[in-house]
Amino acid sequence: MSALPLLEVDDLRVTFNTASGPVHAVDGVSFTMEPGASLGVVGESGSGKSVTARALLRLFAITDDVRVAGSVHFDGVDLLRVDERRLRHVRGGQIGMIFQDPLTSLNPLMAVGEQIAESLRLHRGMGRAEAASEAVELLARVGIADPEKRATELPSSFSGGMRQRVMISLAIACRPRLLIADEPTTALDVTVQAEILLLLDELRRSEGMALMLITHDFGVVAATCEDVQVMYAGKLVEKASMAHLFDRANHPYTEGLLRLVPRFEDAHTGRLHPIPGQPPITGGGGSSCAFAPRCDHAFDRCRAEVPPEVAVGPEHLSACWLAAERARDTIEAGRPWKRDR
Amino acid sequence: MNGAAVVGTVSETGAPSADDPRRGVLEVNDVVVEFDTDGGRITAVDGVSLHLATGETLGLVGESGCGKSTLARAIMQLVPMQRGSVRLEDTDLGTLPRRELRRMRHRIQMVFQDPRGSLDPRMSVSTLIGEPLRVHSIGDRTSRARAVAEAMELVGLPTAVADRLPSELSGGQQQRVGIARAIVTDPAVLVCDEPVSALDVSIQAQIINVLDELRDELDLAMLFIAHDLSVVRHLSDRVAVMYLGQIVETGTASEVFSEPRHPYTQGLITSVPRADAASAARLQTARRLVLGELPSLLDPPSGCRYRTRCPYADDECAATEPPPEAVDHADGLHSLRCHHWRDIAARSEAQPSSNSQEQAQ
Ligand SMILES: Nc1ncnc2c1ncn2[C@@H]1O[C@H](COP(=O)(O)OP(=O)(O)O)[C@@H](O)[C@H]1O
Ligand SMILES: Nc1ncnc2c1ncn2[C@@H]1O[C@H](COP(=O)(O)OP(=O)(O)O)[C@@H](O)[C@H]1O
Ligand code: SF4
Ligand code: SF4
Ligand SMILES: [Mg+2]
Ligand SMILES: [Mg+2]
Repeated sequence: MSALPLLEVDDLRVTFNTASGPVHAVDGVSFTMEPGASLGVVGESGSGKSVTARALLRLFAITDDVRVAGSVHFDGVDLLRVDERRLRHVRGGQIGMIFQDPLTSLNPLMAVGEQIAESLRLHRGMGRAEAASEAVELLARVGIADPEKRATELPSSFSGGMRQRVMISLAIACRPRLLIADEPTTALDVTVQAEILLLLDELRRSEGMALMLITHDFGVVAATCEDVQVMYAGKLVEKASMAHLFDRANHPYTEGLLRLVPRFEDAHTGRLHPIPGQPPITGGGGSSCAFAPRCDHAFDRCRAEVPPEVAVGPEHLSACWLAAERARDTIEAGRPWKRDR
Repeated sequence: MNGAAVVGTVSETGAPSADDPRRGVLEVNDVVVEFDTDGGRITAVDGVSLHLATGETLGLVGESGCGKSTLARAIMQLVPMQRGSVRLEDTDLGTLPRRELRRMRHRIQMVFQDPRGSLDPRMSVSTLIGEPLRVHSIGDRTSRARAVAEAMELVGLPTAVADRLPSELSGGQQQRVGIARAIVTDPAVLVCDEPVSALDVSIQAQIINVLDELRDELDLAMLFIAHDLSVVRHLSDRVAVMYLGQIVETGTASEVFSEPRHPYTQGLITSVPRADAASAARLQTARRLVLGELPSLLDPPSGCRYRTRCPYADDECAATEPPPEAVDHADGLHSLRCHHWRDIAARSEAQPSSNSQEQAQ
């Protein structure tokens, strides 16, 4: 392991004060990423994935009544404690971000080439001409045909997939060391999704940047990420390498997520297994396992104490009172979430 | 429409003949829908035929813009057809006078993608579900109330929500209301256009189960449109793959999805990211099978419409439109439109990688 991780998040907590009371959107999240790592973050909507990503860069709306605690060390500097000027340099500079809907982050009235060039001038100190030609290079780099011409067009003249490519070219323009992609392909056709995922993977390898990819689809993680963490009610409930997770999902929530979706390769056999109920709307913050109301395995202790993270394998953590026991069963019985389907 | 005369009668093969007891409740024949757009006239649906039997689900897949929703709306008689016919239980909907069409409507109902947008925000749940009965003047007050209660139970809505407004419901409950509205008139056919695409994964699973159960319980014929191929495979008996307004491959779900013959179907299937160790490698293959972008309907390619993205395209593909051909198989339902499918199949058997999906694991 290298001396310094690229990103070190420690006990991150984000609480929104809303009209109906506090929402503990992120409830004590800790993880690290090495340079060049690829990390998938999976969970149902409302589990706190996007808020975690936004908190890393303190990207909140002015209208948000929000409290952030913990630390986010990026390259040794705590981003939660640097001033706004320094942070602006990191945003779109050392850390790039792309979202599900590129239109929310592209300026609809400005030619895409100009937007990329503007970022290059701001973050890489390029001159006008140099930035303009580098912008064209970048568009070509993400697979946009006829980049000189397309650089002069507005975002609205690009199809969904092409627009996401533009967004990616903007995000990688300043050679970020970390790219955060929040559901970048959720709205796209599978064919376009495949291309975008391959592009992200290729860029990660060639530019040596780390990738944090937020999604609800384990298939997407499997295609692009080495590591995965599963989030529920503001907490990371399981962390593992993706290769390890196929065979050894430990946490009942992870198992539920894996069983919930029809797997393409399975012929239709019977009904699906939805996880009953829904995630708590107030996030975490309780003094029990937040998954207990939906968990088939819950027992008294689950309702009385928050389960700690337990190591259940090499670099594999699970926050469940039954973690150790389930790890033993998994080894004996094979993939429990694949049984009876 | 290039070659329309030849292709006009293209259908899924195996459509039962008129005296077959299995004859479809819904028979769609050679439907063409054109639109005038700013850029010119486009053919959004180009000679599509399909049939549906009672208790059967046909899944319709294809990239966005290929004409799935337009086809659904043509079947519902919500957009004018330039050509073709839609027969519902032996009634030709296209030739019906307006009033009688309205009367037939309760036999074919639709479920939409956005449950919220399709529900009047000022109406209560029970009013919303009873609305189709009132519109079609079916039954009296008492029988309507009973039908509403039954529909709510069938879709798993607790009686406690009957008086709530749509905004007071979760996304999953809203979609259940959408489905209850569709089944309350006792339809023979349910057309579902991306009914779970807007829902979160765990809610998707619930709604898929609801549709699955309803189909069995009410013996519905279902046309199920979705872009999630895993969901379509899970729910469908047969599938049709659509590309630029045409059906390019159709057959039983197990046939088409485990042994796709059309290069486009192969590409679509290989593009589905799966949670296994071969996931990344499979996407590389997908990229070789589906090249570049969907062409514009304003200027569709000559010959085979897939040729601009097909790795196997040659001169013949540019010159002539491939006619539908049946894959010789016991079930007789599998057909596709590709000049070279036999060669491609032979090649991939010799060198299994691209379309031998199940082996990739
Ligand atoms: N600006 C905000 N104000 C109040 N609550 C918020 C805000 N943004 C997100 N939340 C809440 O925080 C929780 C986590 O949200 P989010 O991170 O967006 O979930 P995910 O990305 O996993 O779907 C949810 O309960 C959501 O309602
Ligand atoms: N009312 C309309 N007027 C003009 N063009 C339309 C209209 N409805 C759909 N289209 C066009 O028809 C094509 C097929 O669209 P659609 O049926 O919605 O595809 P899908 O549902 O497969 O995504 C698209 O090019 C779309 O832009
Ligand atoms: S701690 Fe208890 S309730 Fe929570 S996931 Fe484990 S078994 Fe279920
Ligand atoms: S007819 Fe030619 S271009 Fe069309 S799918 Fe077959 S091989 Fe490809
Ligand atoms: Mg989110
Ligand atoms: Mg559609």
